[in-house]
Amino acid sequence: VARVEAIQYGDRKVYSVASFNQGVADWLQRLPTVWVEGEVTELRRNARWQSVFFTLKDPNDGACLGVTIGRARFDALRLDLVDGERVHVFGRPELFESRGDFRLRALSLERFGLGDHLAALDRLKKKLAAEGLFERKRPLPFLPRRIGLVTGNDAAAKQDVIATITARFPAARLVVAETYVQGPLAAASMIEALRAVSNAPEVDVVVLSRGGGSFEDLLPFSDERLVRAIAASPVPVVSAVGHEQDTPLCDLAADARASTPTAAARLVVPDAAALRERLDRTRAGLARGARNVLDRRRERLEQAHVRLRRAPALAVERKRARLEHAAGRLRALSPRATLERGYAIVRKRDEIVRSASGVTAGDEIGVQVADGQFEARVE
Amino acid sequence: MNAQPTFEDAQRELEQIVERLERGDAGVEELTQLWERGEELYRLCAAKLETVRGRIEELAKVSDT
Repeated sequence: VARVEAIQYGDRKVYSVASFNQGVADWLQRLPTVWVEGEVTELRRNARWQSVFFTLKDPNDGACLGVTIGRARFDALRLDLVDGERVHVFGRPELFESRGDFRLRALSLERFGLGDHLAALDRLKKKLAAEGLFERKRPLPFLPRRIGLVTGNDAAAKQDVIATITARFPAARLVVAETYVQGPLAAASMIEALRAVSNAPEVDVVVLSRGGGSFEDLLPFSDERLVRAIAASPVPVVSAVGHEQDTPLCDLAADARASTPTAAARLVVPDAAALRERLDRTRAGLARGARNVLDRRRERLEQAHVRLRRAPALAVERKRARLEHAAGRLRALSPRATLERGYAIVRKRDEIVRSASGVTAGDEIGVQVADGQFEARVE
Repeated sequence: MNAQPTFEDAQRELEQIVERLERGDAGVEELTQLWERGEELYRLCAAKLETVRGRIEELAKVSDT
């Protein structure tokens, strides 16, 4: 290890840039060799250069780390790396002294393997579950004004979803965003598409759709940023990602999941034909109900009419009966009935004779009987 | 006559007339008057019902096509 010499200015020790860099570089060499995980970006390889350069990027917060690896060593790995691929880099920190650039000197490089992916996915799933990201399930709208669709730019897959939605509900209006659904750029591009459609005017629900694919193909659908974006969406999200065994995390964060485009369509729009049928039945009930009301009114009216027709005659009859009754009583009080039974009224000089002492022999009296009167003399 | 009474008002008045006639406390001179008013109200109500029924059947026919 070279000695780093300082220049002495009085009691101040001062280092030249070169000796400072050399000192830091020496110190860095004491750090251990470690594995670092990240995404490959800005890969620069030139046949005339000794080293291959790339930047390792943290997928979660975008932190960057420059990496160099010997060109011969890199070529021997035959990795065919493309931008965005996730790798494990084995190396140690290093300072490029002439420029003061800090970087990771790679000794080896491994593409992120299936087992790594599975383990990472499982950790991420536990972490997000602990945050409660998979718990909120919002109800889907019965009839969305517009439906946002985030789908691959593969025509067949896109048409499949659109066709099943419009077959079920022909008047459905869609806002479609085509994105990469596979490869290193997929997650970022899907997030952008999801934000765009979920914030588009009148969009009440979003379908995130992709036909089936291999485990690696579907990895972007488990990307932490995408899963968080789904959970943060202002409208409910339906995840329609065809998969066989391992559920992509987007399925867990979505408000509803569908295994096929047809199932997704069933979730986001009502069946127009069934709806129409129900409406027709209800309308038939409307006419029936109105007729019932009318019939009841009519019946009540007719009853009142029948009673009205009868009432005046009844009233007259009742009055006549009352009159007859009074007449009967009147008749009962008059003397005629008594006379008819054989009694007679005796008068002497127009005075009614009520006592035998009121007359003497020889008196002229008038006798009134039922059908007339006659004169008589008291004996 | 003033503005036409509603169906419900006319029906109520008709039923009140019937009850009054049946109770028998109407004066003799009033009898024909009440009866004529009752008949008038009945015709009014019946005509209103017919109009509404016609309108309902018309609507039902339109919605069936």
